[in-house]
Amino acid sequence: MNRYIANGVKTVDSHYKVPGRIKWGLIDKLLLGLTPGQYIMQAVRNPFNWILAGIFAVGLPLIAIRFIFGLASVTHSSYDYPWGLFLTFGLFAMVPLSSSGFQLGTAVEIFGRHDFEPIERLALLNGLLGYLFAVVYLLVDLGQPWRLPYPMVVAYGPVAVLFLVGWHVATYLSVQVCEVSIAFFEWIGFPLGKKGMRSIILGLTVAGIILSTLHQGALGALYNYAPGKVHPLWYSSAFQWLHFFVSSIPGGLCMVIAVSTIVKKTMAWRCDDNFLNNLDKLTISLAKGASMGLITYLVIKMMGIAHDNKWEYLATGYGAWYMFEMGVGVILPLILFAHAIRNKMVGLIRFSAFLTVFGIVLNRLNTGLITFNWKLAEREIPTWREFMIAITLFSIYIVVWRFILYRLPILYTWKTADDSATVKAGGYVTGREPEPAVAGSYRSRIDDRAVAPAQQWP
Amino acid sequence: MKRRDFLKGCMACGAAATLGASQQAWGIGSFEGYPEGMGVLVDLTRCVGCRTCEAACNKEQQLPSPDVPFDDKSVFEEKRRPTEKAYTVVNRYDTKSPGGPVYRKIQCNHCNEPACLSSCFVNAYTKTKEGAVIYNSKVCVGCRNCMIACPFNVPGYSYSSAFNPVVKKCIFCYDTRLKYGKPPACVEACPQEVLTFGHRNDLLKIGRDRIKEKPDRYVDHIFGEKEVGGTSWLYLAGVNFDQVGFDTTMSNDPILSNVKDFLGVVPMVLTIWPALFTGFHLLSTKNKNHADHENGHSGQEVHKP
Amino acid sequence: MYAVRNWLIGVVFMVALIASPAFSGAKTAPDTVELNSLVNLYEKVHFNHAKHISIVKDCADCHHHTAGTLAQNPNCVKCHKNSGATANVACRSCHLVQPFSAAALRQKDRSAYHNDILGLKGAYHQACSGCHQKMGGPTGCQDCHARKKGGDAFYSAGAFAPPQARAKQHGQ
Repeated sequence: MNRYIANGVKTVDSHYKVPGRIKWGLIDKLLLGLTPGQYIMQAVRNPFNWILAGIFAVGLPLIAIRFIFGLASVTHSSYDYPWGLFLTFGLFAMVPLSSSGFQLGTAVEIFGRHDFEPIERLALLNGLLGYLFAVVYLLVDLGQPWRLPYPMVVAYGPVAVLFLVGWHVATYLSVQVCEVSIAFFEWIGFPLGKKGMRSIILGLTVAGIILSTLHQGALGALYNYAPGKVHPLWYSSAFQWLHFFVSSIPGGLCMVIAVSTIVKKTMAWRCDDNFLNNLDKLTISLAKGASMGLITYLVIKMMGIAHDNKWEYLATGYGAWYMFEMGVGVILPLILFAHAIRNKMVGLIRFSAFLTVFGIVLNRLNTGLITFNWKLAEREIPTWREFMIAITLFSIYIVVWRFILYRLPILYTWKTADDSATVKAGGYVTGREPEPAVAGSYRSRIDDRAVAPAQQWP
Repeated sequence: MKRRDFLKGCMACGAAATLGASQQAWGIGSFEGYPEGMGVLVDLTRCVGCRTCEAACNKEQQLPSPDVPFDDKSVFEEKRRPTEKAYTVVNRYDTKSPGGPVYRKIQCNHCNEPACLSSCFVNAYTKTKEGAVIYNSKVCVGCRNCMIACPFNVPGYSYSSAFNPVVKKCIFCYDTRLKYGKPPACVEACPQEVLTFGHRNDLLKIGRDRIKEKPDRYVDHIFGEKEVGGTSWLYLAGVNFDQVGFDTTMSNDPILSNVKDFLGVVPMVLTIWPALFTGFHLLSTKNKNHADHENGHSGQEVHKP
Repeated sequence: MYAVRNWLIGVVFMVALIASPAFSGAKTAPDTVELNSLVNLYEKVHFNHAKHISIVKDCADCHHHTAGTLAQNPNCVKCHKNSGATANVACRSCHLVQPFSAAALRQKDRSAYHNDILGLKGAYHQACSGCHQKMGGPTGCQDCHARKKGGDAFYSAGAFAPPQARAKQHGQ
């Protein structure tokens, strides 16, 4: 893609190919402004696509086999470990990493921190795709996935924590679709839709934060059903839901840092100056938020152990594993964040963010799979087919990410008809004098707003 | 913007709140079973490991043929658990006691406050008034939360079925026998009368009487009387229960009680969060530039930068 | 005179004969008893009662106090120290074939004692196998009653056994 741009190909960032005269068609928008031949060439030349092709060649048939022959064909059919990799990784680990949607939405809309806007849409999209694919993983895992709507329309078991999870995830997905649809409507050219969504954004955001608090916690509460089966160091009789909810805070923020790092390295052509110039500062701000989440999480984990008096378990083999998880996933990132924030070392922050993401994933895998059934004699390792399907679904997730980021105005600002000629990376976040009511904001001109003076960085 | 924003925010959250889970108030741990609830007293001092109960269950519930015949004692070489093809199994425990090996029959214990029932989000489980915990395969989505929740690791799942996998477990022969007041097939088949069928309350008395009459024969405890809120299938043994595969660390509280606190938090968050965060919003954006609001905004709710 | 004496001797002899247990209202102990409550699974058990009488000698070992001898079980003696023989000594007169039917359970509910009586099948097995283990009698199921074809089907054994080469499924 970089090669094409260097050779003068224009990327799609507004409705008009030639301002005022020739419009981009939908196919053009889908093909990134390239001819079909050019598009295929850039896809074929991308070595990452070869890796994906290899994964899909093995994984897609496996997924088909799972649905044709049943779960027994791809899992161990275990009665003692009914929840395997699809759920512990695909759902329990991906959902906390997708909490960025409500966090950045709240920061911008509730607390009025519009300086986070350049990264807000990326965070919202991260939230949406993470939850969407958590549902995809769930559909692959459920025994009868076509019955997924049952708890909503057919039979109700409201006492069950899963009832709450189901309802909330469904509602929250709708909220997130609405939030991301703003970017979609901009891209597709449906200003009325965008206006409609913007008008309820406050309600959507508050709904989002309610739903997120509860279902992030509820995923933790699900393990309260099995107090004897989860290892005591990963189980807290009183605080399991709090542990999961609080750990989702750094999880989401660090996932945004991680994704933005990957984006900056692999698709910088798609990012506009507004995004790229603010990214480092925003990364530092996100890291501050993540640090507060991490230290809180560390302390409430200690409280959980003290509350049930489980200190002696730290001296066991599992205890060493627990300390590894906390050390690499929480304490080390805390130290690195502290040093890097103070010294504005963005690269170190990024590394630390990846460590945090790893720590969250490891925590969920430990709780649900690795230390689960710790009293039973046999540990169970999922089949290679289960691993392969999990990797395949994750690859599809990456492909969908890339597809949307290449097209929708997430990393760049969509230029509207009146300002396509004079877009600058202005806006108040960079501290420059903003142009009156025109350029540099994510909102289109229809919003008709004045641009506020520059905000101070925290 | 304030009033309109606030009201719109509240409406959206109210909508979200009504979609949240509705909670019932349960007196946890105080349900001792329906008055007419039946149960089975399993006297492990009598069991000789003949596996006739397994054979009877297989026939009664029309389960598939087993891998080995039911009179094959080689199965005792490893510890088994109930599966999709075997709702009950017998395990052998070679304790050091002079009486020889102890055999234990494992099946669904038909708890008073079952964990499976509490964890099912489509209400597929029912505790009948006869005491059986039965399952409705027509609504089951296959989430397998019940298998996670069951403290006795009882439910099996028919993973091998592609289009109708369902939970498989002992149903106390409800459909064919218990409904009509008859004992389950395993009880009738047992030659040693290890299994005594009757009202749960009577079985507790019988169990205590047996312990009183022969204190050297029995450990002074009826397993299932109180564990996880009480079960309908009760056990007597001649050795300590942890030597024959029972989890003696179980609390007397039903599994549901572990999630009750969280479930109580849910309506609190649903109610408090809207006001809390709308309040945050009002507090943190009051002095931002809103000159255009006074001029009457055109219905936009967004915050201008 | 001699005629009266002879008549008297005859009457006394007859009375003695009639009064003797062999001719009194009490039944004779049968030599064999056929136990046939499980005929759909097993052949009838030809229980050699006479042999057991000669080995065990004390009726109370199996029949509790009902045969007129003193019961051994200390729990029983508390009440039945002076209980004599009962009209019916057969096992099945107190040990029901269906001990858990609704009617039987109702009966149990009302009684304060004897509410933990074994059913017939349980009584046979518990009475027999305990002693057999100590005295070296038959202890296997088929030692006393051979299995019929119906029994083979029930146990998925014999002609109904599953194919040998069936691998165990992993994870179960």
